[in-house]
Amino acid sequence: MSENSNPPGSDREARTFFVETRFQRLARRPGGLSRAQALENAQAQIEETKPDFESWLDGELRQLTDLVATGVQAGAADPAWAEGIVSHCGQLRDIGTTMGYTLLSFIAGNLCEILEDANTDAKSNIETIMCHLDALLLARQAQYRGLRPEQLPELTGGLRRVAEFIRLAPDDV
Amino acid sequence: MAANPNINFRDLMILIADPSPYLCMLVHGILRGFGANKVIEVKHSFGVLETLIGQRVDILLCDAKLPPHGGLSLTRAIRRNTENENRTMPILIMTSDTREAAIKTARDVGANMVVAKPMSPASLYDRLAWVAFNPRQFVDSETYFGPDRRFKIEGYPGGVGRRKGDKVVEVAEEVGPALAQDDIDSLFSAARTGQN
Repeated sequence: MSENSNPPGSDREARTFFVETRFQRLARRPGGLSRAQALENAQAQIEETKPDFESWLDGELRQLTDLVATGVQAGAADPAWAEGIVSHCGQLRDIGTTMGYTLLSFIAGNLCEILEDANTDAKSNIETIMCHLDALLLARQAQYRGLRPEQLPELTGGLRRVAEFIRLAPDDV
Repeated sequence: MAANPNINFRDLMILIADPSPYLCMLVHGILRGFGANKVIEVKHSFGVLETLIGQRVDILLCDAKLPPHGGLSLTRAIRRNTENENRTMPILIMTSDTREAAIKTARDVGANMVVAKPMSPASLYDRLAWVAFNPRQFVDSETYFGPDRRFKIEGYPGGVGRRKGDKVVEVAEEVGPALAQDDIDSLFSAARTGQN
């Protein structure tokens, strides 16, 4: 570790120093896979997990469906309930694209955005959630699996408009 | 252009912190594909702190909203803890919140880099390569401890460049404040003249 004096005119309280971390030292050792080989191997690892992913995905969608049903029965969306929805959707958003479900990621991300931005006790959020759930179940189907959001502009544009509408007028919905 | 550098992942102690077991497993698999053989997974910030007390960690991949404290608060705490030998380790924040303010906050708490979720193997590899091959000074001031935020990206290592392909979700008429991975990288690349 070596220290440097601050250049003239910089924040005089600040101290700057150089650290070569163990990560940098070990990562730069000779050897290791080429980038192309590393990416190929990583993709192979992802492919290996895909059968498990299908089961996981169905489980997440089932839990989400059950959770939505409890909100519909209650007739209102309390914050804890909405947090549960965001939690499940967040996982679908974060993992879907990596596993080839880009459309599913988009829909789940759109719903997360709505619930994180809007008033969660608005009854109309239930309708918003239900229409996103329908879209998620559609995106799960085999014929939609490989599609990207821009390939279904009516669906994704409609969901985008819902998000935009709620963002612009959160108190009125 | 420099020769394409390889990252040697063998024996690097990598800590993944994310509340989603499936995402942890996925990132673990990607790292295993890269050649990593020492990977630890934790689901909450207490797990991170316990791990850091117990052993040396070479790099932390941390979810921005890691419960219960949040990955950003955790990053600030790690950087601020003068007793912890891991305080200068590289920290990559994994986040789906790619709004500019969120990315700037990650940078300002001392993260080395932000990788947008959902992530691809390529986006993760290139950011790890960037951290490995572009060491930055540390700054210690009253209000900040962490990598120098005033640095300049002159292209990713080995001519990888800033890849348009990193953009994960592409919608024709996308509006709103979310940033693509390229834009996130740019926020970490304000030139020394003091942008941002």
